Amino acid sequence: MAEQAIAVRGLRKSFGAKEAVAGINLEIAAGSLAGLVGPNGAGKTTSLSMMTGLLRPDSGQVLVQGLDVWADPPAAKAVIGVVPAEARLFERLSGQELLEYAGRLRGMPASEARSRSAQLLDVLDLTADAKRLVADYSTGMRKKAALGCALIHNPPVLFLDEPLEGVDPVSGDVIRRLLTRFVGSGSTVLFSSHVMELVEQVCDHVSIIDKGQIVATGTIDEVRGGKTLQQAFIDLVGSRASEGEGLTWLGSSSS
Amino acid sequence: MARLLVQLKLRLLTNALRASRGAKISFIASTFFAVLVAIGTFVVLAALRGQSAAVDQTAAVFTVFAFGWLIAPLLSFGLDGTLDPATLALYPLRTRPLAVGLLAASATGAWPLANVIGLLGVTIGLAHGFLGELVAVLAVLLQVLFCIALARFVTTGMAGLLRSRRGKDLAAFLVIPIFALYEAFSQVVPRMAAEGKITAETFAGIDRWLRWLPPGLAAHAIQDASAGHAGAALLRLALLAAVIAVLGGLWIRALGHALVRVDTSTQSSAVRGGLLPFARSGIRGTVAGRYLIYQRREPGSIVRWCIIAVVMAAASVSTIRTPTYHVALILSAVLGGGMLGAFNANSIGLTGAAFGLEASALTGPRSLRAYFAGRNLALAVIAVPLLAVVSAGLAAFAGHPADWFWVVAIDLAGIGAALALSSVFTVAVAYPAEKRVGSPTPRSADGYGGQALVSGLGSVFGVVIVTAPVIVAVVLTHSAPAAVRIPVLVVGAAGYGLALAWAGARIAARAAERRLPELYQFAARSKL
Repeated sequence: MAEQAIAVRGLRKSFGAKEAVAGINLEIAAGSLAGLVGPNGAGKTTSLSMMTGLLRPDSGQVLVQGLDVWADPPAAKAVIGVVPAEARLFERLSGQELLEYAGRLRGMPASEARSRSAQLLDVLDLTADAKRLVADYSTGMRKKAALGCALIHNPPVLFLDEPLEGVDPVSGDVIRRLLTRFVGSGSTVLFSSHVMELVEQVCDHVSIIDKGQIVATGTIDEVRGGKTLQQAFIDLVGSRASEGEGLTWLGSSSS
Repeated sequence: MARLLVQLKLRLLTNALRASRGAKISFIASTFFAVLVAIGTFVVLAALRGQSAAVDQTAAVFTVFAFGWLIAPLLSFGLDGTLDPATLALYPLRTRPLAVGLLAASATGAWPLANVIGLLGVTIGLAHGFLGELVAVLAVLLQVLFCIALARFVTTGMAGLLRSRRGKDLAAFLVIPIFALYEAFSQVVPRMAAEGKITAETFAGIDRWLRWLPPGLAAHAIQDASAGHAGAALLRLALLAAVIAVLGGLWIRALGHALVRVDTSTQSSAVRGGLLPFARSGIRGTVAGRYLIYQRREPGSIVRWCIIAVVMAAASVSTIRTPTYHVALILSAVLGGGMLGAFNANSIGLTGAAFGLEASALTGPRSLRAYFAGRNLALAVIAVPLLAVVSAGLAAFAGHPADWFWVVAIDLAGIGAALALSSVFTVAVAYPAEKRVGSPTPRSADGYGGQALVSGLGSVFGVVIVTAPVIVAVVLTHSAPAAVRIPVLVVGAAGYGLALAWAGARIAARAAERRLPELYQFAARSKL
């Protein structure tokens, strides 16, 4: 698969004196399920926001399906689906109203938006709660509802920021299976996470970001180089914890 | 335990002060008001010396203070971390020391002290002789203790409720009667007093039932002691202490429950229908449907609509029954539009991070125009009937119901101006909004007070200026025959308002297209 679904060149963003993203380059092939991993504060959310047209970069270029996100936002937005980090949604809509709203905003006919939202709610296991307000949803249900909103217009490329953060195993499994099925049809997914096991299980491509820079990128096997991804990640990013020598009193044997 | 909780409260307070300038300013303002209340109450109570109804009025003041303590925690719940028992549920604490500690923590602060100092005015106003002074001091301390115990009991009893989404929704509606009461007191009462409809005699008789309430017991104990009836005074104080003890016991029981039980009174229920209204009419209809649902389901929106109606009524109250009632009608119509503009001048900031869903779906100038048109449509669907009905009520109250027709013309122009200006301000002066726990109406996030002031005042004054041509037309044509004048005015004003709203949506859409990512960043920083 030579065609690049996502191509990022020299993307940069500073907030005051702090350089959050220091010129990253990234290429994700179409049909790939790619992970963007990094410690907290590494620049994952900032990068994804710039790739999806929600945060203006200081410099650099983002191409999605060959469309420049910052030169032609309308065209690029049409091929993108986004699930933001803290799935903050329209709290006072019901799940069903929310998905229908997302579809209608994308210019979908009302009947189509209704039938697609009903199918998505069914696959996401939200049908029983379709008429409850999103404000009363649990974290897992909110993530699933946000995923439904991002998928309703069937975008070729989907961006997700920490899709499984705070999600229970059952909802996590629903999300995982839906993403795998989505990629199986030729669509592309890029998601950020700091759960290495998840990335190792589901992704075919991974990029490691640290202090605003991509420090490794490639297939899972290339990046982990014979180790576990967790070990490769810690080797690259560096363990930051002290050994805790001061805590001589800690643990039941010392009392 | 008491010392630790008092220290915790002081530490939380100083940390909050260090964290933001806004907190510093509101703390200084609150302390300043506390000092004013202390001095004011002291002077008022001291001035009762020698008056025949001194005890009645002291009882009334004591009751007002107790009422204040009763509702204050409902409005400001969450501002004080030491007051929510749930935050302490994980620690191995027995209920009794915890209760004493929480009580001590609540007694720490400028307001309880201001209460004690202010109420001590009775030592001059009501008390005579050594016994009288002694009982006065005791009665004031018991009265403040009663207030604190009452507030704690209400807070703890409602803690679960106020932590839940629905409970907060219900508490939000308390603002409406309080705001209406405030308007009534600041507008109606001074006027009626000036007209001689409210005098000191109006309060006579109120003491007949106030004297049996705990605050009344405190006031009458002082009176009895000053008159030499030591037994009666002590009996009253003992009764008050017993009430406090019972309240404390109930509170401790509620505290024990609150630590381990989940509130189940507000479990969510399904919404009716479940389909988006107007979804068949393109993006404009879809957005209008979403905005309409929010006007109905969000308590903050309902509160704002009610405040518009209350302000319209309050603005006209002083002149509505006089020969210059026209001024009142015009003023209330323009203010209705102005408030509509000010409340909606930061629509995107108030949408919050959910605006990301809209920002990533809205592509190009056409869909953005439809977005603002939809917003305006939803607001107009509520504003037009609301303003028309309030104006009709005011015109009828003025005794000139036929004048309603020309007021509606001003209403319509004002609404159009408000929609246009608020669309433009929403894009041009966007800022993140923040909802403090317990307060239904969001305010600007720290550091954005200037933007809030510009868009709020800009909307009010902008509406006045933009509506001026219609007001001038109404005034200049007052002698024309109504059959010609009214249709021309109403149709002309409606057309003018529509044109304004349409132009506002276009200008806002064009500006929004250029700065959609920046608008999203403002919205994403909102904490709602």
